[in-house]
Amino acid sequence: GSKMTNDTTSTSRETTTETTMPTNQALIDLQTHLKNSKELALPVAAIKSLLGVIQRSNSHTMMGLQEELRCASDAMIQWASKDNDDNSNNNQSNTPSLINRSTIALASGCQLFMKYVTRCFLELPDFTECKKQVLERGERFAGISLAARDRIAELGQEFIQDGQCVLVHGRSRVVGALLIKAATMYHKHFEIIVLEGRPDAGGCKVAKEFTDAGIPCSVVLDSAMGYVMERVDLVVVGAEGVVENGGIVNKIGTFALGVVAKEMGKPFYVAAESYKFARLYPLNQADLPDLTTKKLTFVDTAAAQS
Amino acid sequence: EETTPTPAPQPKKKDKVAPKNIVIPPKKPKLSKAERRALQEAQRAAKGVVQKDTTKTAKNVKKPDSGKANNNSSNKAADNATRQSANSKKENQNVGKVLGLFEHLPKYKGAELFSGRVSLNTDAKLKLHPAVTELGYKYANGTIRGANTRCRAMLEVFKTVIRDYQTPKDGKNQHQLSLNLDHEVKTIFQYWTTHCRTHSVSMGNAMTFLKSIIASLPRDINMEEAKELLCEQIDAYNHERIHLAGQAIAEHALRKIQNGDVLLVYVYNEAVLNILINAQRSGKKFRVILVDSRPLMEGREMLNKLLAAVSGNIECTYILLNSLSYVMKDVTKVFLGAAALMSNGSVLSRVGTAGIALMAHACKVPVLICCETYKISARVQLESITYNEMGDPKQLEVLPFDEEGKENLTLLNLLYDLTPAEFVSGIITEMGILPPSSVAVLLREMNPQENMSYR
Repeated sequence: GSKMTNDTTSTSRETTTETTMPTNQALIDLQTHLKNSKELALPVAAIKSLLGVIQRSNSHTMMGLQEELRCASDAMIQWASKDNDDNSNNNQSNTPSLINRSTIALASGCQLFMKYVTRCFLELPDFTECKKQVLERGERFAGISLAARDRIAELGQEFIQDGQCVLVHGRSRVVGALLIKAATMYHKHFEIIVLEGRPDAGGCKVAKEFTDAGIPCSVVLDSAMGYVMERVDLVVVGAEGVVENGGIVNKIGTFALGVVAKEMGKPFYVAAESYKFARLYPLNQADLPDLTTKKLTFVDTAAAQS
Repeated sequence: EETTPTPAPQPKKKDKVAPKNIVIPPKKPKLSKAERRALQEAQRAAKGVVQKDTTKTAKNVKKPDSGKANNNSSNKAADNATRQSANSKKENQNVGKVLGLFEHLPKYKGAELFSGRVSLNTDAKLKLHPAVTELGYKYANGTIRGANTRCRAMLEVFKTVIRDYQTPKDGKNQHQLSLNLDHEVKTIFQYWTTHCRTHSVSMGNAMTFLKSIIASLPRDINMEEAKELLCEQIDAYNHERIHLAGQAIAEHALRKIQNGDVLLVYVYNEAVLNILINAQRSGKKFRVILVDSRPLMEGREMLNKLLAAVSGNIECTYILLNSLSYVMKDVTKVFLGAAALMSNGSVLSRVGTAGIALMAHACKVPVLICCETYKISARVQLESITYNEMGDPKQLEVLPFDEEGKENLTLLNLLYDLTPAEFVSGIITEMGILPPSSVAVLLREMNPQENMSYR
């Protein structure tokens, strides 16, 4: 653990050396959380490590605490964006892979956490009381975020009825949890069509999970979305982030899927945790922040087959 | 007093005998339903003939005001005014004539005001501060126009009036200062609205603010302190909600402007001007298309101010509204100003704005409305006719035509139009960029004193 001297005043200039130690600890915590539970969402792991930052904090002012939280979340976001650019071959065994995970949800989760925990500090004059309340609120927020996926599955399974055909895009853990819950816990009989979701082909992976849960499942090419749309009853996707004008940021191809679904009159549902609500207001596709700089390599299938 | 002669001692029953000097009119015959109906129709027909000659300003002046002050003196003065102006009206009958659909809208009052008769009567009766009448003239003849400009001018004049305020000679108590000042500002506001030009939403909101700070003056405050406090608060409102808000809007908008953008702007708006200047100074490389429209041609003022502020270092195209469809395909973003923002996210703005938003929507170009929060109104408006204002019809400068068609021609110079919320991509306020659906929330957050009535 790291110890800060008690008489440091919390100005960003003075604490450059002191804050690197807690932020490193925050990063280590993040990686530990991710390693321990493969199914844990990145923002939830980040929220848990921010809780650790509050617990370890020796700050005596709210601003100091906020500064520490901000430094820790900036460090985590920076680490996550850097990792996106690394080639998968360079992946070390002790740092979990973050390939193709966008950092929108991470940033929004951290921001919402910080806003939520520091919300009512004005009412309490004593800082230790205040800090206790901050910690309480932080734990509550972390609890809500952790339980979010299951809660969404609980609420969302009501939209699936017997005999329906559901279309999903790539691999979304929230959507997966929702559909598996509908089938296993609520014993609904439906079938799933999965778009394979290139370039990472997450759809192929999630199809195996569905068939293991006993749901009949077909994997189709991304380009077949127009072809299959007439035979599906609803579309369910996840989200990387929910933006301020009510739209979502998601895996490439979701927009086209939405347009086709609207045109064919099929309901389009989005399953997203509340910590994914980001302070972004994109006016068009070009207005999105740069999400990844990784270059794709296209395999020449014709050449490979011959 | 009438005495009832009692012929015999009958104490309870009295015969009512009328004295000689009172004449009792004969009782009205009881009409059947059909007869009453016929009478009503005859009266209505008679009224229809008379109505063509009555001036429309009579209706206007008697219209209840947002201030809702029951100011008898100003109404009487207004009545005198209408009688006198009715005579001069007959000459300009065609110019003042208005289509039935627009009869309820406030008309251009400049014609009566500058005839001289109205001002003498009303000023003398109301004892208005000279700064008030001066501003009134400027409102009426259009020297001061635009939501921010009118509001700022109004606040400055109110500060002057407050500073020059003296307690009335009949020795009212100091603790009635709030009441007296409240009455004073309401009178002034009503004078402007009824005799000069109907108020804008921005002025209305600032007026609500002023009334609330006057009402919340501490009871035991002395005159000098009260004046000082009020002027300070007015300055703070002006500075924070108009000036600083404009700068915050420019900051938020900066994040939405990218290099290579082609921005379309319409006529004059302070917030939009700030955005363009700020973006240029921050080093963004973009092009501006400035759209102007008759009869006010306010775009020229925008152009002059923009070029002056950036020393000409901006690529700017100036077009009239007619050529909009030609340029829209090159436009990447549209920045429009607002006179007022309705609670459902629709925008009241200079006439022509709705057309631009509509065309931008058709070409899939994002439309951003730039509006300070003090312009948000609790009203909901669905189209441009229920609430609007008419300008001077002479400004339309229709060429002289021969006498034959004159009685069928009405000139309509509408000043505002409404852009529905579905054509607005985002609203930039000092609080950030919001979707139109969030305007009602912002109204609640920004104006807590108005919410008190709902508790």
